[in-house]
Amino acid sequence: MRKRTPVERLVRGGLIALALAWSAIPILLVVLSSFKEASQIFEVPPALVFRPTLDNYRALWNERPEFFRALRSSLIVTMGTTLLTIVASTLAGYVYARYRNRLLSGTAFGMLAARMLPPIIITVPLFPILNALRMNDTHILLVLLYAAFYVSLGTWIMRSFVAQLPIELEEAAAVDGAGLLAILVRVVFPLVVPGVIAVAIFVVVFAWNEYVFAMIFTTRNAKTAPVVIAEMLGTVEGVQWGVIFAAATVQLVPVLALVIALQRYLVAGLTAGAVKQ
Amino acid sequence: MAAPAATAEALPVNRRARRVGDRRTVRALHYAMLSPTLALLLAFLVLPAIYVAWLSVNSSTYGQDARFVGTANYAQLFADPIFWRAFWNTFFVVNGIVYVELLLGLGLALLLSGPVPAKAVIIAVILAPYAITESSGIVMWRYLVEPDVGMVSYALGRLGLPQLDWSTSPAQTLLLASTIAIWHHLPFTFLILYAALTTVPKDILEASEIDGASRWQQFRLITLRLIMPAILIAVLFRYIFAIRTFAEVWLLTEGGPARLSEVLAIYLYREMFKYHQFGMASATGCFMLVMSLLIALPYLRRMYRETLRHA
Repeated sequence: MRKRTPVERLVRGGLIALALAWSAIPILLVVLSSFKEASQIFEVPPALVFRPTLDNYRALWNERPEFFRALRSSLIVTMGTTLLTIVASTLAGYVYARYRNRLLSGTAFGMLAARMLPPIIITVPLFPILNALRMNDTHILLVLLYAAFYVSLGTWIMRSFVAQLPIELEEAAAVDGAGLLAILVRVVFPLVVPGVIAVAIFVVVFAWNEYVFAMIFTTRNAKTAPVVIAEMLGTVEGVQWGVIFAAATVQLVPVLALVIALQRYLVAGLTAGAVKQ
Repeated sequence: MAAPAATAEALPVNRRARRVGDRRTVRALHYAMLSPTLALLLAFLVLPAIYVAWLSVNSSTYGQDARFVGTANYAQLFADPIFWRAFWNTFFVVNGIVYVELLLGLGLALLLSGPVPAKAVIIAVILAPYAITESSGIVMWRYLVEPDVGMVSYALGRLGLPQLDWSTSPAQTLLLASTIAIWHHLPFTFLILYAALTTVPKDILEASEIDGASRWQQFRLITLRLIMPAILIAVLFRYIFAIRTFAEVWLLTEGGPARLSEVLAIYLYREMFKYHQFGMASATGCFMLVMSLLIALPYLRRMYRETLRHA
């Protein structure tokens, strides 16, 4: 490969630094400022060294109990969605990877086409119906909705992971007298764990962060953390920036850590599920 | 790039089933395994979408039965200047997002495709905005651009430049919303293109270098052609997702002032949840659906041939 000149290396380094700043600075500023006193928050230039205070977190805990209720809702909805999506898409992905007939292909294509549908349009018929069924503002409704949005991607990812497994393993297990369920649980599932992790990241990030549907379909009991953060931003009597920063920090830390720790599965999942067919 | 295709024959379960002599049980089992996925898709996406099409030719609201009105909703929709405003806003936002993001994502992927120190850390940082919820993203960006006190606003003021005015100027609202959307989704575009670049064979590039190709020629004639499928997929998916843009604009101005910064998703939301005009909301929904499908048509056609080829 060509040698790079020092100038070129400098330019490349500068551009990468710019990209890092673009991605990280908005996040870092908010996390840092959540430990600042109200008077310091809009200091320019922002102080990077300061005496950290937990006042904002204390205020969040005392004045915004609904945020922690919402965090609990987010956790319930995220876990439920992840579990349901993984089970449904592993089962379906297995069938699509191992069997083919016209009907299966038809449904596989339908699944793909369904991903093109803008989800907001389904709120029109669903909202009145779900209201009549008293399903609005429940965790289970968000779980079902979110899973419905992600089973097709999940199935596609799992299909491609199962298809890479040598079929001989399953044949050997079948010869040994294992039934389909035993083959799935003991042979296939342990081998497609990377696929399961990839699906899980996509679903966790989506369910934990989803705003529009949570805003539309919840009012109190099932309200999730992103909705409460948005409400805190929309208060008329002046925004309490420090408290919002604390809430945003609490909300983002777990899922950001997850994405960074598992980033290679994200690449694997995108490659398997969304990009190449 | 087809995944290794399983053949229809020589399958353990089928073989076992043949031995037991009951293929129908196996087939029933398949559909049982597909049923959770298909039931979710049917109940929450397919049937509601069909119902939307039906609602769009009816007039209805709460406590009032649907009354067939033919194309009246569409006529009303297409006669509404606010709808066209939302359409053009969406048009500019979507195209801006897609192509700026493509350029940035491609540039970034190319920057990181060679040997770079601490590459894993750099990629982790670049992915970070993907993990941030839309409402926190708005919090972060508003912190920077809040009139008078935000850092960016302050810096502009110090430089003697005009102040940002995103809360009252629709053009600035949409520009800011697009910037935030790009910030959120650049990781997606970057990852797809980066993954594609890692599959470009090094030996082709080396051979072309020996043949005296310039770096620009290498990029244009080899790299770009090899990653073109990935570029098309990235563009397609970003189009499909950008058409849905809602939260970025909603959380900045709720589409205001005077509905001037609305995008289609906000127009639909307002018709549905503020004015309770189910027919108008459905007509907007159908319009968005048709636009999405038209954009996805080439991709869907190719996938249709591929998924049915082995059937």
